Parts: sequence; structure tokens; C-alpha cells
Amino acid sequence: MASSTKNGDEILAELQEIFRDILDQPDLILTRASNASNVEDWDSLAHINLLTTIEKQFKIKFALNEIQELKDVGEMIDLIQRKLASQ
Amino acid sequence: MNAYRLGDVTVGMKHAFDATFTAEDAAAFARISGDVNPLHVDETYARAAGFASPVLFGMLTSSLYSQLVGVYLPGKYVLLQGIDIDFNSPCHAGDPLHVAGEVVFVSEALKRVEIKASIRRADRKLVSKATIRVGFHVD
Repeated sequence: MASSTKNGDEILAELQEIFRDILDQPDLILTRASNASNVEDWDSLAHINLLTTIEKQFKIKFALNEIQELKDVGEMIDLIQRKLASQ
Repeated sequence: MNAYRLGDVTVGMKHAFDATFTAEDAAAFARISGDVNPLHVDETYARAAGFASPVLFGMLTSSLYSQLVGVYLPGKYVLLQGIDIDFNSPCHAGDPLHVAGEVVFVSEALKRVEIKASIRRADRKLVSKATIRVGFHVD
């Protein structure tokens, strides 16, 4: 399979749309520093909904250790980029 | 009751069963939910509105989705985490209903399974369709 070449800004833009939909916050501005502490309603169930939607949209699969290490959106973007590049 | 573990669940697994609700079931749902809309509880009103009898509550028939995932697919070890439902056609007390579901997504890392499901009348008319999200609470 050909690897994808999405850059960090493109992934961030896609993530922002996913977060806005899942968290029902149409005006949410997502940055690399966004995390569960500074984004309203990003709770454990929302986290699962976010990651499953990301898996489907980017056609990637996360491993348990990968998602346990995620600290913020920046690390999420980096992980998605690594996943896409390795496909 | 089925008791599939997360590792047992694969995309494409299916389960189906049949069910029928009575007028007494609808009356009980009206009492529990507080939804006393006459289309659901008043025979005369429902007939005047063009229905053969009171329309069963969509949320009552959709309770069969709870049974589908909580008892059969995957069963014992999951908790319902979310559900999107479209209500397509009315059904009535006494109508035989056919419930069918199929696993369409499994994430072992997130302990999440998604099931596409439908409820159809005996004439195959679609009563509702749903995407159901469940999470495993044990490994």
C-alpha cells in the first residue's frame, strides 16, 4: 500500500473537524497543546469515540501501548503521521 | 446469554432473533417514560390519524437493540456506549419483529465493538436501523 503524505497541519485540520463533531463543539479550536484537561467534555468515553473515529477516517489501527502514551493532540498527530507513513 | 470476549469478536459476526410487543407493553412504556402522546396510547386518536392502531414507541422497539448487544452480540461482557437510530416505518402491538445485527468494527486497543442492526416487520418493511457502539468492561 502506498504511504500517505499528510503533513501535521492537514492532520490537525481533520482532527479539529472530528473533535468538533464528537464533542459537539462547532467552534472548537484545536492546537497541538490541546489535551483532555483543557478541552471541555473530553472524557474517557469521548476519548474512545474520538480514537475510533480517527481510526476509521485515517484507515489506521492503534495499539494499546500507543494510545496509552498519548499526552496531547500534538502526540496524536505525530502518531497518526507515523502510522500513515508506515502503511 | 452469549458471553463473547473481545478476542472472540470479529467483523462479520451476526445474530438475529424475533420479538413481539403487546398493547400492555406499550402501556407500561408510557407509564415508565411519561410519554403519553396519544398517537401511542389512544386508539381513537391513532385511527383518526390514519393508523390501524396506536403506533408502538420507537424507543420501545429500539430497546430490542439493547437486548441484541447486551444478551447476544457480544453479550454479557459489554456496556452500551452509544447508539444512532433512524426510525423508518411504524409498527404496532402484535406485529412480529425481526431483529438482526452484524459486527462492523472491532478495536482491541479501545475495547470497542460496533454493530449495524435493523428491526423489520414480517412484511420486511424496515422499522428502524441502528449503529450501536459497545465497550467491553472485562478483558
